[in-house]
Order: sequence, then structure tokens, then C-alpha cells
Amino acid sequence: MAITETRPESVTETHINPWDTGEEYPAIAVVLGSGDHKTLGRFYIGFALLFGVVAWALQGLVTLDASGVDVLRADTVSQVFTLGRLSLVLLFAVPLFVGIGTLVVPLQVGAATIAFPRAAAAALWTWLLGSALMLIAYGANGGVAGGRAKAVELAYLAVGLTTVALLLATICIVTTVVTLRAPGMHLDRVPMFSWGMFVAGSIWLLTFPVFLANVLLIYVDYRFGRPTDFGVGANQWAQLTWLFEQPQLLALAIPVLGAIGDIVTTSAGARQRNRGVMLAAIGAFGALSFGAFAQPYFNEDVWKQVLFVVVGVVVIVPVVLLFSGWATTMMRGKPTITAGSVGALLSALLLMLAAVGSALYVIRPLRLQPGERVDLPLANVYQTGLLGLVVGAVVVGAIASLHFWCPKITGRMANDSFGKLLVLGGAGGAALVGVPLCVLGFANRWDALADAADALHLVSTVGAALLLAVLLLTGASLVAASRGPRAADDPWDGQTLEWATASPPPTGNFGELPPIESPEPLLDAKEAAS
Amino acid sequence: MAATHVLPPPPPLQRPRVLMVASALASAATLMLFGGLLGIYLTRRAELLQAGDTWLPEGVTIPLQQPNVMLFTLLASAVTMQWAVYAVSRDDRVNTYLALGITLVFGVAYINMQSYLYTLMKFDVTANQQAVLVYAITGAHLAMAVAAMIFTVVTAFRALGGRETSRQHDGVSAAALFWHAMVVVYAILWYAIYITK
Repeated sequence: MAITETRPESVTETHINPWDTGEEYPAIAVVLGSGDHKTLGRFYIGFALLFGVVAWALQGLVTLDASGVDVLRADTVSQVFTLGRLSLVLLFAVPLFVGIGTLVVPLQVGAATIAFPRAAAAALWTWLLGSALMLIAYGANGGVAGGRAKAVELAYLAVGLTTVALLLATICIVTTVVTLRAPGMHLDRVPMFSWGMFVAGSIWLLTFPVFLANVLLIYVDYRFGRPTDFGVGANQWAQLTWLFEQPQLLALAIPVLGAIGDIVTTSAGARQRNRGVMLAAIGAFGALSFGAFAQPYFNEDVWKQVLFVVVGVVVIVPVVLLFSGWATTMMRGKPTITAGSVGALLSALLLMLAAVGSALYVIRPLRLQPGERVDLPLANVYQTGLLGLVVGAVVVGAIASLHFWCPKITGRMANDSFGKLLVLGGAGGAALVGVPLCVLGFANRWDALADAADALHLVSTVGAALLLAVLLLTGASLVAASRGPRAADDPWDGQTLEWATASPPPTGNFGELPPIESPEPLLDAKEAAS
Repeated sequence: MAATHVLPPPPPLQRPRVLMVASALASAATLMLFGGLLGIYLTRRAELLQAGDTWLPEGVTIPLQQPNVMLFTLLASAVTMQWAVYAVSRDDRVNTYLALGITLVFGVAYINMQSYLYTLMKFDVTANQQAVLVYAITGAHLAMAVAAMIFTVVTAFRALGGRETSRQHDGVSAAALFWHAMVVVYAILWYAIYITK
């Protein structure tokens, strides 16, 4: 008797995503129903850039108003300020790198898809819905300490919704790194960006739920209570502000460190030396940016606590380690000057500046911390400056990443010369938006520079406007790139697996993977072939 | 004589435990949510006690009988959930269904008891920050219990459909992990909210 049954080895994927072929745009239903991580990543990136424009516009309006130009009504200043902060983090910085991670991480680890593609799609649409509701609620005189009760409630629901959605998306990315790595790719062999997303995701998963707890308490008190404490208008923002301040704000920059690592090694054409130290440094930076304990509303003396001070100072160490590691790689290799490498360098410099600023902030004799509870807006100008520097570094790092991985995002090469202009503009904008406010915060403690305050706020406004323009142009650059000629599969002579597949990657991502015996499998294959 | 070919035994499953990892991450995030809530609760409680006041305002009573019953119900549900994992890993489908079913019944009993407790507590949510904290924390835990039950129901249907077997029982194990996290959170709430008051 012959046995005819065979054990199925694998399911052959026959469906081709129309976006992947580049032949035609798919029907809207196909796009909206897609669980393909490349499509989801493109959506995240596009909408995050759009929301970034809104966020920097709001930030610019607040500093413009503070400079003496009367552009905002007195009762709307705090709403514009809080929406600016919330959108910088929840609508722009985090989702932008969630998008890049959703698109790039599965490719880097050699996976056919992201873990839980349907959950990742649900996260995207939930985030988008939450973001839209947040903007609508603020538009209807809601939001933090808003004037219309129903709109205030809606705003808090929207903030909760976006936070939950980002947590879900983060779980998908971290699970991909942990479980869907190709055979041979141990955790210490994952590319730097995937490692950065793993560390960032872990920190976000441990801190954003605490933020959610704050939002929940405010909502319950405001919606069902009188309110008595948490939901009182004047108290609301003070409970949420820790997400945007030292040390938690540094958690926004963790993925940037990973992206810089990949871009630097690829553009230098050299392996990263002491890779374990670099991975540990990114991990340490992540651990030191855990800021859920530093909630001044509930812990008024947090500025005086040893943990807060030590964390603030020690965070310089991993940044210095990473910086020296990248510099060594650049010197050992033959770096090419691309938008990616220039952007990586500038982003690293901005992060170094932010880390130094963070260390200065916790030194008590400098008296940079507020002595009393934070009032709105811009009460703690120094922290606003630091946030500007960190999110500015995220902008520059993201532009560098988008140009570097553009072949995998759009299937085409972005204009590199234009990209260099964009990263230079972004770095200039970040410096202009952050440094003047840090200087002002520094001087305010001694009532110095009072005459120059208006001018410094105006300079910061120019920086915000520059960043706004840079984000708009980055979006335009990506759209223009998507209409250009096809990119090669490996245009940068890459080292990691995303360059082993077509540009853009097909459904299922890979045909055959090279053997993985080091963190740079493609470099191994090229060296073996030569 | 026709040759008889026997397929070799299937190799051990190498599939990564995707659902388990995701469940662990979701459980960690949920624990941090309750960590944040309880941190605020305990901070505020300590402030009041330090000022010489009592935590619960005068006239407010939270009976202990119902929280105790809920604790033992949930502890029992943790046992039945583990029974489901044990049964499915041995392809004992009858015991798997039975264990998952009893776990769900325990879950419903917990929700019922918590709702009953709300009617007994002479605690107006509009009254003060204590009420807001108690209702927010216990309400969030109710939501977590509902999420854990939905996860368990989905897993039970997968088991009924034959998709949870001894070779592949990630669904039941992942649901059990989240369920245990829910029980652990309740045990902490029981001590922090109902016992210490």
C-alpha cells in the first residue's frame, strides 16, 4: 500500500500586494484592509509627518505668543500648549518610529511578516481614530482644562485610545524581535535599529501604562466626580507633564540611537567594533530614561531625590559610549556622505546636547527645576527647550532613517542632495527651537536676560517654523521619490537582512535568506563571494 | 506484497511562542497600569494618614466579606486555568473544555460579586478623591477581568475547533498567563484597598 499523504512543508504565498509591485494603486478596500507591515508602516509614517506639522505649528504659536505677539486668546493658550505637547509625543515622535519600526524591523530580523499583522492594523486605525478625535475635541474647546465638559471627556478618551493603540503596535514590534528572528540570528545579533526598537518598546510598555493610569484617574474624577482633585482643571496637566520632561522625554530618542548605529556602519562600510558595548549602551540609555517615578504632582520633592539626580547625570555615559563607538567606526571605514550619514551625525550631536542639558537640569545649585508646581504655559522653559532638542533630534534621525530606508519604503531612491538640505534644516530648526529656551530657562533663575526673553522666544518660533517646513518637505520628498525610477535591492552596500530582498520587498519579504553567523550576514556573504 | 511506508514521527514543533510573548508583554503593561494607579493610591493614603486623618471618610464602609469571596473565587479560577493548560498539553479535550468552562464561570462570579459590592459600599464617587481612586482601580480591574474572559472564550473556541493540541497550545497557555496576571493584580488590590483601608 502506497502512502500518498505528504506533510505540507509550507504554504506558498500567491497573493501579491499591488503596492509592492508598484504597478498600480490598489482599491481603497485593499489598502484599508491590509495587514501587510509595509503598508501599515507607510500609513504611520505619512500620518505622523502630517501630525508633526500640526504639532510644531502649535509649539510655534505658543512661543510666538510668549514673545509678545498677541496671537492666542488668554483662555486658549494653555489648550494650544497642551495639545502641542501631546501631539509632539503621541501623534508624531512615537508613531513615526513605530511606523518605521513596523516597516523595517521584520525585514531586519528576516521575518516574513510582523507578529500579529491584524493587531498591528487595528493599532494603526485605532491610533488614527484617537488622533482625529483628540484634534476634534480640542477644536470643540475640550482637552486639558478645556471649557466644554463633553469635549474635555472626549479628549481624555482620545488620549487613552491613542496610548492603547501605540502600546498594541509596540507589542507587535517587540514580539517580532523576540520571536520571529531568522534562524541563526540570536538576540545579540539583531541589527542596531531593531535592538533600539526592542529597548524603546520595552520602556514604552513599562511607562505609557502609567501615563494611562493618570489619564484614567483624571477622566473618572472629571466624568463621574465633582471633580474633587484629579479632574480639577488646574490640576490636570500637572499630572501628565512627567511624560514630556526629564528623564522620560529621553525615551522618545531610543529608536534614533539604533537607527544611527545602522546608518553609520553601512555608510562607513565597516563592522561595528565592541558591538556588545553598543547594545548595552542603548539598553542603559533606555533604562535611564524610565521616568514613571518622577511625577512631581504626586512626588513634589522628586528633584531632590538621589535617584532622579543620578539618572539625570549618568545618562551622559551611554551617549558618550555610543558617540565614541560610531566615531571609531567612521574612522576605521570609508564613510560616504549621504543624507542618512549626515542626518545620523547631526541627530547624534543633538542628542549629546540634550543629554548634557539633562545633566545640568538635575544639578540643584543651578536651580533649573521649578520650585513650585508647574503653571502653564512655559513655566518650566528649560524643560520645554530640552523637549524641543530631543524631539528635534527625533526629527533629524527620522529624516535620516527615511532617506536611508527609502528603497524599502517606496521602492525608489529619495533625492539625496535634497535629503542633506532637509537634515541640515532639521538640525538647525531643532537647535533654534531648543537652545534659546534652555538659555532662557537658565537665565530666568537669576532674572537675567529678561529683556531678551521676547527675542529668544521669537528665535524658538523660527525654529519651530523651520521644523514644520522640513517635515512638510520630507513628506513631499517621499511622495516625489515614489514616482522615480526603481531602486536597486542593495543601493547602500548594506550589511543587514533588509538589503537582501527586493526594493520594495515583495509579500512574504524574502525568498532565500543568507546564512546568519554574525550581526552582519550580508557583509559575510559579500566577503565570502569576493 | 505491497510495501508499507510509515511516515516518520513529526519533528518537535519549532514554532516560536509568539502568543505567549505577546501575552507576557500585555500582562507587563497591565501590571504597570495598576502599578501607576496603586502608586497614586498609596501616596495619597500615606499623605492623609500622616496628616492625622483616616483614609476612608467617616460613615463610609467597605465590607470585607465580598472581597474575601472574590479573592478565593479568583484563586480557584487560577487553579482551574492551570488545569486547562495541563489538560490541553495531554490532548485531554474533555478536561480542557471543562476547565475553561469552570474558569469562565468563576470569572462571571467575580464580576457579579464586584457589582454587588458596589451596591453595598456606602461610597459616593462624587464625594472625594478616595472614592475616585477606589472606583477607578476596581473598575479598571473589572475591565481587565472582562478582557481575560474574552481571551479565554476565544481560546476555548479555538480548542473546540481542534486548534489547541498537545503540540500547539500557545493559545491556552497565553490566556492562562494573562489570567494569572489578573488574579495577582486582584490579590494586591485586595490587600491594599480592602484589607488596609
